[in-house]
Amino acid sequence: MNILIFGLLTIISLFIFLKLGKIKASTKQLNRENRIKWTQNQNQTLNENADNSKTVEVKPSQISDQSDK
Amino acid sequence: MSKHSALNTFGRSGNPAFSRNFNLAGAGAIAREDRMTLDGAVNKTVILLSLCFAGAFIGWNTPALTMPALIVGAILSFVTIFRSPTKAGSTAPFYAAFQGVALGGITVFAEAQYPGIGIQAIGLTFGILASLLFCYKTGIIKPTENFRLMIFSATMGIGLLYLVSFVMSFFGSGIGFIHSNGLFGIGFSLFVVGIAALNLVLDFDFIEEGADQGLPKHMEWYGAFSLMVTLVWLYIEILRLLMKLRSR
Repeated sequence: MNILIFGLLTIISLFIFLKLGKIKASTKQLNRENRIKWTQNQNQTLNENADNSKTVEVKPSQISDQSDK
Repeated sequence: MSKHSALNTFGRSGNPAFSRNFNLAGAGAIAREDRMTLDGAVNKTVILLSLCFAGAFIGWNTPALTMPALIVGAILSFVTIFRSPTKAGSTAPFYAAFQGVALGGITVFAEAQYPGIGIQAIGLTFGILASLLFCYKTGIIKPTENFRLMIFSATMGIGLLYLVSFVMSFFGSGIGFIHSNGLFGIGFSLFVVGIAALNLVLDFDFIEEGADQGLPKHMEWYGAFSLMVTLVWLYIEILRLLMKLRSR
């Protein structure tokens, strides 16, 4: 009985996995603002690193000879 | 950067196989037939599961191979995770076969003590897989960055606890409640089973987005491999939980 129940559960679950796994998730799942962005994180990190290393451009100040004063 | 510093430091996934993120640069240039698909990921998971079952048959008949297979499987998983995921196609099948041998041996040991426990653990593992897949596909469970942070933290915490317990065992000590069959021990096992199960949701989400965004074809193997890692962990934890319950 034990084998029958859990064996059936295994076979049915595998069948569900095979069928459901190949179907695209619902729009409720896919069209969300707060989805995990698996594929954008690395690009985002790279861009942020680039921003941090940005050199600050400063206008050269006029150099005056102070020795006469 | 993310507002969660832990995510920035250690990565964003609960599953160790997803501790790195994947660069999509140039994905637009990949030909349609060379892109990751849901069909491909599911088919490759079935191949890995078949290899795991074949390995389990060997492990069941030769329990002496359990420890060597467990060590080789662990090495192969580290190689797959920390080397380039592009090689997952060549390492994941071996990982599945060796883990199958190890699981076969572990199941023989459990069956000798509690007959019928193996099929119960298998049934529950695949039952959880199917029900969580249904919940994910229909949108009942919606994984977010906070969800990922929570699962990641819990998984790392459990891993650390197991590591400390393992090291302590060399000195004749250990963390008692992890292995006890008391209420606290069973509660801990239930918690670990829950976290392992929720890791499946992250695996589904990665595969879904990978197929949606058109990641390279070899990522199908990586997605299938990460699903296998979670399933193997879930099976072992369910087996431990059932053993604790039966020993009471």
